[in-house]
Amino acid sequence: MNGIIFDIKEFSLNDGAGIRTTVFMKGCPLRCVWCHNPEGLSPHRELFVKTKGCVHCGLCKKSCQHPECQGLGRCLHICPNNLVSAAGEVISSDELAKKLLKYDRLYSLSGGGVTLSGGEPLMQPEFCEELLLKLSKISTAIETSGFADEAVFRRICGLVSFVYMDIKLMDPQKHRTYTGVGNSQILENAKWLKKSGIPHTFRTPLIPGITDTPENLSAIAAFVSGDSWEKLPYNALAAAKYPGVGRKFLYSPENPGSESLESE
Amino acid sequence: MNTELYKYYIIERGHHSFRKDCGKSLAEEYSSQGLSVDERMCRRFEEMCREETPHIHPAEKIVLVRTVKKLPDILTPKEWEKIRSSHYIHELGYVSNLCPDYEKAISGGLLKLRESADTFGKRVIDAITGLCDRYRAEAEKQNRTDIAEILSRVPRYGARTFREALQMFRILHFALWLEGDYHNTVGRFDQYMYPYFRRDMENGTLNEETALELIEDFFISFNKDSDLYPGVQQGDNGQSLVLGGTLADGSDGFNKLSELCLTASRELRLIDPKINLRVSSETPLEVYVKGTELTKAGLGFPQYSNDDVVIKGLTDLGYDEKDAVNYVVAACWEFIIPGVGNDICNIDGVNFPAVTDRAIRRALSEKPVTENSDTLLGYIKSELETEIIRLTESKKNIWFYPSPFMDLLRDGKKYNNFGLHGSGIAPAADALAAVEKYVYNDKTVTPERLLAALDTNYENDPELLHLLRYEAPKMGTDDDRADRLGTYLLNVFADCLKGRKNSSGGIWRAGTGTAMYYIWHAEKTGATADGRRAGEHYGTNYSPGLFTVTKGPVSVINSFTKQDLSRTINGGPLTLEFVSGLFRNEESVEKVATLIKYFIDRGGHQLQLNAVNPEALRDAQKHPERYRQLVVRVWGWSAYFVELDKEYQDHVLARQEYTV
Repeated sequence: MNGIIFDIKEFSLNDGAGIRTTVFMKGCPLRCVWCHNPEGLSPHRELFVKTKGCVHCGLCKKSCQHPECQGLGRCLHICPNNLVSAAGEVISSDELAKKLLKYDRLYSLSGGGVTLSGGEPLMQPEFCEELLLKLSKISTAIETSGFADEAVFRRICGLVSFVYMDIKLMDPQKHRTYTGVGNSQILENAKWLKKSGIPHTFRTPLIPGITDTPENLSAIAAFVSGDSWEKLPYNALAAAKYPGVGRKFLYSPENPGSESLESE
Repeated sequence: MNTELYKYYIIERGHHSFRKDCGKSLAEEYSSQGLSVDERMCRRFEEMCREETPHIHPAEKIVLVRTVKKLPDILTPKEWEKIRSSHYIHELGYVSNLCPDYEKAISGGLLKLRESADTFGKRVIDAITGLCDRYRAEAEKQNRTDIAEILSRVPRYGARTFREALQMFRILHFALWLEGDYHNTVGRFDQYMYPYFRRDMENGTLNEETALELIEDFFISFNKDSDLYPGVQQGDNGQSLVLGGTLADGSDGFNKLSELCLTASRELRLIDPKINLRVSSETPLEVYVKGTELTKAGLGFPQYSNDDVVIKGLTDLGYDEKDAVNYVVAACWEFIIPGVGNDICNIDGVNFPAVTDRAIRRALSEKPVTENSDTLLGYIKSELETEIIRLTESKKNIWFYPSPFMDLLRDGKKYNNFGLHGSGIAPAADALAAVEKYVYNDKTVTPERLLAALDTNYENDPELLHLLRYEAPKMGTDDDRADRLGTYLLNVFADCLKGRKNSSGGIWRAGTGTAMYYIWHAEKTGATADGRRAGEHYGTNYSPGLFTVTKGPVSVINSFTKQDLSRTINGGPLTLEFVSGLFRNEESVEKVATLIKYFIDRGGHQLQLNAVNPEALRDAQKHPERYRQLVVRVWGWSAYFVELDKEYQDHVLARQEYTV
């Protein structure tokens, strides 16, 4: 079957053991105000324009006949600086597995493998399952928010060698305010993961004024209770890609209380 | 580290105040006396040794520093013109890019060499020995009995200790530069110095700490006079030092001394000596890890070469196996043989995109255009042949200044081979791949349309520019459609030179290096079918085209290791650029080391890795086209720096300031 991805990163060094290739799956049910991958939010193919280097020649705005450009409002095949693209590639699990397995020699040499990231990979569970079965000979990992139906969560986690799962906020109301969804399902899945025997690490992005408060961090510490837990620094570059996909970045670390959830 | 010495020679350049101009103009004097060129070279050497003033810094252990700035000419302009008009002069006319046999001189001493030397050889030995005697007197005057004692041993007699051996090397190297020879390489330092090092370590006169100190003093000596050495750019001086590699008995030569050299280079962070590391599929990961720790320092060292490919390649070209096993690199990356070689490994270069463009235009101008690309590929052969005839035929009757001192340090001139660089191999393969796909196979671009675009520098056809520049198959993306044509070009290059004799009786060697031709050739080459506009530069050496949107270093390595590189073994590395922040911990150092091992295991011939500094990043913002392969760590992933938005770039820059 087909899935939709928005990037494949080679030689990814911090998404698990060894040298890995990371697949970014498109579509996410959360709307974290600090998200640094806005092109991964929508589950649909969309226009993605890089603004740096644009000389405003206007060539991309002229109408064209390419079927793949229709509906995007721009021509993808004319920018002299290659700034106009579509985020979202529909790809079959076969083809994707073939691409990823091309480097199996490097994975075995380095103890690496493939990491599924996003977006939220669990938004495409059947695709993930098919893909992971095809990658069963190599090490696989997943990076997930844990926001998924428990059956889906357990099935996919059971297919990977390692799980990276976010615990962002312990307070259900704050979780809803800053990520757009509640955290009860996430915490239930996390509890299961803790007991599952599947190797895992919990991760908390340190968002100034939101997740990095002493109350939140001590609540998470109590929750993970001795399991592996990484705190990831805030990515100050998060805003840059938003205009490229026609979205607004509303969070500001200087004034973290002022943002409201962005509308689509 | 000897900070006092570092401060004096490197930071303050205190020794520059002792420098003077040679007040003599020798050419007219020699000319009026009707002296032979051999006599003149010898006389100037004697004269320069006399002109030198001994200068010893209190903190140094290895002595000899140049005090006379420029060597005066020995030929009048008229005489020089006469020689030029009837000969081919390679670069400056002095012997260069050679690796002498230091070992013989270090172990036997100059008096031993003097026994079998000709008159000129005896005279240059006496001259340099005389200078060393004056250094000895100066050392005694300064109460430096350690130095005086060493100089009472070397250079006359063979070295007994590691320190004597280092001092002896310094004297020999100093003499070569003083003769006018340039790009004087260092060779397999960790091999010919190892017996002295090991003996001292074993008998306890040296320990790891004192050995490292000595090596660092010695490494600093390469930087004392290097601004006086000729080169295209400052730093282009050929002081290449080779570590590790297969030994004559098949064992691996990487030893404790090799390791200390890596450490010394990493601590000093000086551009000389340039560190090269010989490896093979047998090399354990830990050696790559040690190499990567040096890469992290941001000097672009070590450069790796693969014994499995290089030794085979040199043997296939006719080098004796025992010589091939002993290979070193010349100034940059050309593979040469120490002690017995007289190769001119950089005599010229083939402009591959230009050759390919001529073949493409020829094939596409035919009416009707042929069904498939076979005709085009045939034209590549004939165009390359024409170019190679043009380049090789002009290298006749070569004249060099005599080199009496260099001649003492080599055992004949066994190899007299000439090397040709190959610039723009990837863009040339990309141009062929584009024509093959769009014109011949898919038939979506007509020959007329492509020719018109090439003629107008793509001004008339932005859509075709985009297609060929960004969407067509490219070397560097692990796309067989392009990589296969890279293979084809290299094979044709090797075939074309096979069996061809040069004017010195040697053969011709094909290479993947560019030297400065990635700019010189590119600037005079018009628009090409890979979507390159007129004048746009090529990548350096054996690397992807500058606007190739690569997927990452793994795809690049895959693309550039599919070829049988043992056939084009004049030298020229694949270059990968990483930002220093990528090497943030031991784990990532090991991952980069693994990637290098992957490259070598796949049959890559030579690899250069750069950890790039903030200055380069700032320059990349102004000239992104020159830094397409520059990888940066953004936070949890790697990206191509120039693909990042400005604020990402600024952030990486700001962060690099303190992580470097």
